[in-house]
Amino acid sequence: MSSTLDKLAVILRRDLLTAIRHRSGFVMTLAGLLTELTAFYYLSRAIGPGFHPDGVAYFPFLLVGTGLYTFFVMSAQAFLSSVQEAQQTGTLEVLMTTSTAPAELIILSSVSAFAGSVTNLAVYILAGVAIFRAAIHANLLACVSVLALSLAIALALGIFAATFQIAFQKGSALLWLLGSGLWLLSGATFPVRSLPQPLVTLARMVPFTYAIDTMRSALLDGRPLGAMAPTVATLAVYATVLLALAMLGLSVSLRRARRLGTLSFY
Amino acid sequence: MNQVVFESVGKVFRHRPALFNWLGRERSGETVALDHVSFSAAGGEVVALLGPNGSGKTTTLKLISTMLLAEGGAVRVGGFDARRDGNKVRRQVGIAVANERSFFPRLSARENLDFFAALDEVSRRERRQRIEEVLREVGLEEQADTLVMKFSSGMYQRLGLARALIKRPSVLLLDEPTRSLDAAATGSFWTAVRTLARRNTTVFVATHNFAEAAALASRVLLLHRGVLLADRPCGLHLSTVRAVDELRELYFRLTGSDASGEAESEEDFEESLARSAGAAS
Repeated sequence: MSSTLDKLAVILRRDLLTAIRHRSGFVMTLAGLLTELTAFYYLSRAIGPGFHPDGVAYFPFLLVGTGLYTFFVMSAQAFLSSVQEAQQTGTLEVLMTTSTAPAELIILSSVSAFAGSVTNLAVYILAGVAIFRAAIHANLLACVSVLALSLAIALALGIFAATFQIAFQKGSALLWLLGSGLWLLSGATFPVRSLPQPLVTLARMVPFTYAIDTMRSALLDGRPLGAMAPTVATLAVYATVLLALAMLGLSVSLRRARRLGTLSFY
Repeated sequence: MNQVVFESVGKVFRHRPALFNWLGRERSGETVALDHVSFSAAGGEVVALLGPNGSGKTTTLKLISTMLLAEGGAVRVGGFDARRDGNKVRRQVGIAVANERSFFPRLSARENLDFFAALDEVSRRERRQRIEEVLREVGLEEQADTLVMKFSSGMYQRLGLARALIKRPSVLLLDEPTRSLDAAATGSFWTAVRTLARRNTTVFVATHNFAEAAALASRVLLLHRGVLLADRPCGLHLSTVRAVDELRELYFRLTGSDASGEAESEEDFEESLARSAGAAS
């Protein structure tokens, strides 16, 4: 256990030092977040105060929806980028010869990548509240619980993207699907019930939809966990199943890459 | 006891053309990287892998390190099967790859070594001391806190060796270890390898440098198109200029790279090697 924590510490340190020493990248990420937030603020103003999707003002609705959706996509993107970079530099092959089991290494690396995404999400929500006066009534326990489950789902998506990258050198294809197809069904920018019935049914199969829905309830309406039990339970099932499948897929793809000699192909 | 055992190991790389390759000329096919190769190496042996490009030297190192998995036969390190007990094998093997860029560019040499040492499960208490040791061994003490993005090729290569040594492996794999080193650094490196061998570390050196093979190796494995052409002792008698020339000549004859383009048989090679040993003594 102490060895695992020690490994996590050095991975977090590596990523933090790299981010700090990449000052321009850090500033650009922050500027990007604020620009996106500003655009959504003026979009909600242009639509007018009369639009109250799911009973909340439109800007806070957008703030939570886009914040959490971006969190999912950016987490998977950050993790995939780290795997692609490691393939391009040859670091991945060397990492796979260390005494750390590949699955452990991948999970620890993803935790680090996701720590950055959680920070971005927190900055995004706080900036929305502090700068643009989004009204929130948070139930902290419910928010933290939904975030933890969202993290597990994001982790699974990141590992799926890495699996695609290692197996087919096409991890970005999966991210493209997340970034475009699922955006429509996630309810990030408009209520899912506005869609035609077949798409609503489809949307009910997408874990993002549940995550965004419950996070809105917890953060904007202050609903406790008990009141959202069925949705939270669905999220928990998604998180468990997706993580198990992702780990299995990764393990198979790593073994296959070792057999075919394609570990560093990109 | 043999530290590394290859039993009839085969490795084939299959090529598939890109999915939408209507305009390209890429065709599917396969390359036999290793063809039923068998050998073993005991603790403290220094084994040189010689052979032309594409002969299977790097594949051999990658199979020992578990970067690659064999399709046929068995690879065993310290008694563990590389396919079934990969983690136990990796704990014993250190590898310095030919790829110089396999580091995190915005970390210093010390920070990179600390990172890899932690993943190799060197305890936090021991890491500081070991990092200082390996940095001293490869002559990078003064550049310890420089970001590696500012390193030259030779410095990368030394850092790669330091990384391979930090877990104190019982099997050390070196892929063209002195390719970018100056004469002084090469001399120090050879001394370091000999010291490791005296401490019972099994060392594999894939090289194109005959002088290096003759100066370091107790055995030479000569590979050509995935076939092990020769597995012969290479004692100190080969560390003379004459013996190096003999080794070079044999290599070209056996791999068919001489003027005639015809490869020699292994029996001819044995005869020539005996002549070489006689000449050197």
